[in-house]
Amino acid sequence: MLPDANHQVWGKIVAGEKSVQTGNATVNLLIKSLKMSYGLDRSPANQNQLIAKLHSFFSRYESTLASEIAQIFL
Amino acid sequence: MISTYVHSKLQSIPEVQAEISAGKTLVLAGSRDALKQLPRGNWVGGTTSYFMTDEGGVVADDKVFATEVPEFAMEAKVVNYGLGNLSFLYSDAPENGITFLVIPAATKVLKTFAEQAPSFDGFLMHPVVGWVSGVRVDRVGNELPAAFNGKTGEILENKAVALHVALPANKQAELEIVSIFKGGEGDIIHFKDEGFHAVGCHINGKPANLADYIIAKGIRTEFPLVGDYCGCPVNVSIQNVDAETHCVDLFAPVFPGVDYRFAEPVEDYASAFSAVVGADREEPDFACNCILNFLYGKLEGKKTGSVTGPITFGEIAHQLLNQTLVRMYLRDV
Repeated sequence: MLPDANHQVWGKIVAGEKSVQTGNATVNLLIKSLKMSYGLDRSPANQNQLIAKLHSFFSRYESTLASEIAQIFL
Repeated sequence: MISTYVHSKLQSIPEVQAEISAGKTLVLAGSRDALKQLPRGNWVGGTTSYFMTDEGGVVADDKVFATEVPEFAMEAKVVNYGLGNLSFLYSDAPENGITFLVIPAATKVLKTFAEQAPSFDGFLMHPVVGWVSGVRVDRVGNELPAAFNGKTGEILENKAVALHVALPANKQAELEIVSIFKGGEGDIIHFKDEGFHAVGCHINGKPANLADYIIAKGIRTEFPLVGDYCGCPVNVSIQNVDAETHCVDLFAPVFPGVDYRFAEPVEDYASAFSAVVGADREEPDFACNCILNFLYGKLEGKKTGSVTGPITFGEIAHQLLNQTLVRMYLRDV
């Protein structure tokens, strides 16, 4: 079960405080994109938007991101 | 290796005509003359005369590389995209699906896509795979690249065409970006502004001019800049270095906030491709490879692992890429 968007780890990924090692190109592009956006605008509103996008992506592709999710939360 | 779901191969024009007439949904790559001979139907296409085949790299004007959309696809919708509606590309995509996109080279719509796609609503949430169409190198300037809307019969020279394919809930598309280049341990280059032209930059944190740096270091510009996207390499190829204007023209934009390094030289492209493609991997459901790899690597007649597909003038996996092999897989979930 994927932790909800309030879990602190999502925010850490967006802020670049937690890395995700993966060969999945889309995940890498997404995280880079979110970190770049966060670097330009560190407001809580933007951070929440970026967390929502990250969580939405992992929810959508949860079944194919098992190893990434395990890495993030275990 | 056997493709999981999609049938794709280089075919004669009559063979492709028959497949279109049979109602198949196709993504096609071929010369303008070849694509013009095809009837209307459920297809999109783009110009190229270069292909990766089971027999190796091939140059042909009388063949068409056809990728058949599998029968389990629920819906396939063809949409033209110009500057006015390009920002809806990702949000137009089905909730679960794959979008095939063809954009003609050297167009405003390509420039806009390359620079602005990451800011479009739905970017990365809906997989988009495809390529930049072009013409034979010896016809550049005499012939225009084009995208083809097979549904309407339109030949698009300043618009892109997309085939939005909806997939059932038990299938998902996965994109892979495969590069034979590594950023290596060289100097780290940062750009302040995004764009296809690089002048000023910072190299290892110090202000510099990229053209001067390339000339002074004797950097071989057939090898790209490699952007590090959290470990995913995004290549940017060098088009021209002008010593007088101190400007470097690029085949894709660079972006601020990305660490770039020049790629380590690769001398044997075919072997390098075979190594990174991996003989143990299943054949992708769609793939394309860059014309610069084909030309610099002298890949005509040479095999590049088990991957087949069009040779293209820019590759698309969510965003524009250069000197890259893109693979798409349809996975069971």
